[in-house]
Amino acid sequence: MSAGSEILETTSTAAEIEALDGYGTNAQPELAGMIKLMDLSPKYIPETGKHRRSKRLVIVGDVHGMKDSLVELLEKVKFNEKHDHLVLAGDMISKGPDSRGVVDLAIHLGATCVRGNHEDRIILAHANMEAEHRDVGVPGPSEPTDKQQDMLEEESFNHGDYKDRKLAKQLGEKRIKWLKKCPVILRVGKLGDMGEVLVVHAGLAPGIKLQQQDPVLVMSMRTIKHGVPTSKRKGNVWTKAWNKFQKSLPKKERSTVIYGHDSKRGLQLKKYSMGIDTGCRKGGKLTAVVIEGGHLDHKHKLYHVKCKDER
Amino acid sequence: MADRELGYRERKHALSNLIQTYLATMDDIGVETWLMHGTLLGWWWNRKILPWDSDSDVQMSEPSMQYLASYYNMSMFHYKTPRIPEGRDYFLEINPHYINREQTDRMNVIDARWVDTTSGLFIDITTARYNWTHPAGKGMLSCKDGHEYRDTYIFPLRSTFFEGTPAKIPFAYKEVLEAEYGQKSLTLTEYEAHRFDQEGLEWIPIPPKIKEPQVSMQEENQENSDRPQA
Repeated sequence: MSAGSEILETTSTAAEIEALDGYGTNAQPELAGMIKLMDLSPKYIPETGKHRRSKRLVIVGDVHGMKDSLVELLEKVKFNEKHDHLVLAGDMISKGPDSRGVVDLAIHLGATCVRGNHEDRIILAHANMEAEHRDVGVPGPSEPTDKQQDMLEEESFNHGDYKDRKLAKQLGEKRIKWLKKCPVILRVGKLGDMGEVLVVHAGLAPGIKLQQQDPVLVMSMRTIKHGVPTSKRKGNVWTKAWNKFQKSLPKKERSTVIYGHDSKRGLQLKKYSMGIDTGCRKGGKLTAVVIEGGHLDHKHKLYHVKCKDER
Repeated sequence: MADRELGYRERKHALSNLIQTYLATMDDIGVETWLMHGTLLGWWWNRKILPWDSDSDVQMSEPSMQYLASYYNMSMFHYKTPRIPEGRDYFLEINPHYINREQTDRMNVIDARWVDTTSGLFIDITTARYNWTHPAGKGMLSCKDGHEYRDTYIFPLRSTFFEGTPAKIPFAYKEVLEAEYGQKSLTLTEYEAHRFDQEGLEWIPIPPKIKEPQVSMQEENQENSDRPQA
């Protein structure tokens, strides 16, 4: 095709033309070993109406290996395995004292997870360790992780992911396998006034289809600059553009995002976004959004427990 | 090697073959390499070489370069593929100065080259070395061409595809691209006399403008009519 061969008689305003140079026009990154979008099984969706069965969704962000706090929080919400479903909004592991324990508990409870930037790192580090590395006579990614990094060992395979590989090893095959199944975007479904409820670790770019979202940014964004999401803290928080965009849509097309990742900003409740990373590992709180069905519509409520500072 | 300058399409094919054979060879001999610079930007847009790019850029770690230099320097690799039915020879050449780690070695910023012996086109391979004395502390990688990266931006590498071949890219590819080319490079759909066609996901050369300038914009707008308005 040669450009300019078809001349189309349309009128366009300056604003429309300006919108062309937008984020999301590129091909989406094709990244191996990653589930981008998954629908939550409808059996977990809280029911509404007079004859509703009691079912709740319990969504918890950024546990970061703080297993005791997670247990305490589940006790506080009186989590019942029979009726309730746990959703972990990413960064369940790393940094804190018991990543294994958190994953084991999640598996035990049949929880649904979302891939956060920390899961992403650990899964990639694990994949690189697993990958066939021929004996090339130089240290490879499977060399002991306790090896000290010093100036004399320039040959060392110190890839800046020593810690990641150590944790990948600690977690072991079974838990890594479970983590790999966590999608980047979890579509919960339509829940009344909240519209379509989505769970991601960091955020979503407004105006871009779920399939078209850059998964790495979904796991890492904090702000949006010139329409492009970035992980930088300084700038306009992405939820500002997100909420503005939702309000511009017809009511039945709106979506609410539940996310974590930004403990510095803490609890962030807006009409169409709920940020629930309240910095548990830094001695803050661990937060759960509990969604349940009411007589007419869904209701949501927040629960917190205080955490021990594990820095 | 080459006896004339290649045409647009011919060059595009030669460059594509070049990176495909390079990535396949490195994978075969077990050397980890990743896309950088303009090649990574091409990956961002459509997982292909930018048509205005005259070469491809890849990186590897210092141990990998040492390994290549020790065992594969001056090696010839013969490739016969559906795209290259007549067969073609590629040559791996390591700069003898690769052992010089200093950025002040300005005459030898490229550590190795993967050369298409038929067309003379080549891929520059640079080494990302740990800089043990960097003021920013541990974990800084630098290249002789002056680029510097924090290692956690590069590693763990991500597996993807480039020009239809399995390839690796830095962990924080967006930050790496932004740092080098600025944020606009990720959104600007008109660049270097090419326009990004969002339907076909291809960079199309813009013919010299004869008609009034609005024409191409209107057409682009039409193609975009299904995009939600922010």
